[in-house]
Amino acid sequence: MKASARLVVELDSHGNSVVRVLRSQAPLTLVPARRVGPVALVHLVSSVTSPLGGDSLELTVEVGPGASLDLRGVAATLMLPGPTGLPSSSSVRFSVEGSVRYLPEPTVVTSRAHHTAVVEAELDGHAELLLREVLVLGRVGEPGGVLSSSVRATRCGKPLLHQQLAVGSPLIDSSPAGLAGKRVIGTSLMLDAVPRASDGGEWWNLVPLAAGGTLATALGEDVVTVTRVLDAI
Amino acid sequence: MLTALILADSRFPGGGHVHSGGLEEAAARRLVTDEPSLESFLHGRLLTTGLLAAGFAAAAARGEDLELLDLELDARTPSPAQREASRAQGRGMLRAARRAWPSARLASLPASPHQPLVIGVVVGDPYEAALTCAYLAVSGPASAAVRLLGLDPFGVNAIVAALPVEEVASRACKELPALGSPALDLLAEAHVRREGVRLFGS
Repeated sequence: MKASARLVVELDSHGNSVVRVLRSQAPLTLVPARRVGPVALVHLVSSVTSPLGGDSLELTVEVGPGASLDLRGVAATLMLPGPTGLPSSSSVRFSVEGSVRYLPEPTVVTSRAHHTAVVEAELDGHAELLLREVLVLGRVGEPGGVLSSSVRATRCGKPLLHQQLAVGSPLIDSSPAGLAGKRVIGTSLMLDAVPRASDGGEWWNLVPLAAGGTLATALGEDVVTVTRVLDAI
Repeated sequence: MLTALILADSRFPGGGHVHSGGLEEAAARRLVTDEPSLESFLHGRLLTTGLLAAGFAAAAARGEDLELLDLELDARTPSPAQREASRAQGRGMLRAARRAWPSARLASLPASPHQPLVIGVVVGDPYEAALTCAYLAVSGPASAAVRLLGLDPFGVNAIVAALPVEEVASRACKELPALGSPALDLLAEAHVRREGVRLFGS
């Protein structure tokens, strides 16, 4: 299944963030909340079981100057193998002149899934982006599949963060210099003007990026623990 | 090839011996205690940070813009402790390289460049630069393991010799990687926060 969806949010003359373009295509179904205010709330609903092997999904999000968008998931995403053995892919591209909070629910990479996920964000000088990602390697009692998840964020063309996480390679997954055998990886990328000091514990930390912004990372055995760490930051 | 051999030599006066690449913290937490756990650590390091560094060394050797590479490598190194370790080793290597292999391109590097960029500029050949960088990504932690854990130097040497360093160097020549290692980032930052005696700078 190939699908592309597009969402455009702008600020209207009353100071409200309004959805100007909303183009869904199953399984990428965008559901705007019926409310008027400074922040537009849109839920991203997977209206068909997806991603399965062979699927290719693309979402484009544009947020205009002064506008704010909360883009949330409603349920965990299960990455599954398809009947053909082909890999699946998904991409989310943000173009931000206002402010975006992208908070999908956890993604479970089931055994035999093979997926490539890409998030790209281009921000203008004052744009803000909060990006949360929680990955789970396999359902309970099964090993995880193969996933490459990459994030690239730029501000006015200059790179702020570019990270690829590869899971499903036993040599890296189990290594103390890879994922240290942890099943759940959570990151929270905060690209804004808020200064945050370095902080951390045994399996989490908060670090300032070289060109501005902050990245929080947590490794753990279960989603509850990792989510709690990210929520507390 | 001789330049690459000199840079990879543990007697090269670039100051690399004070860095353990996260091994000291991993050993302090008992994540690495013996030869099998060291082998796992070195594999993980080579396939993530090692590949990343080798890719940037190859790109610098190909003559790509050094300022852009510096920004891109910063963006791929979220941990400030890792950025500082890379720049400290780059600074040390640059000091020795300016005497041994002076060039206009070397002189154009900032005072504290990322180490892979120095390796790329000095070595000049992309594959040899990538190979040097990939090897240094594991040889430092391996020798630190001998000192910190008292492991058998012959056993550790055999582990290093069996690592797929050449394969990683070949892959590093094909594209600019962006592979991260969440655990290494956490170890590097925890190492900086650790109180008490530390033998290594990273």
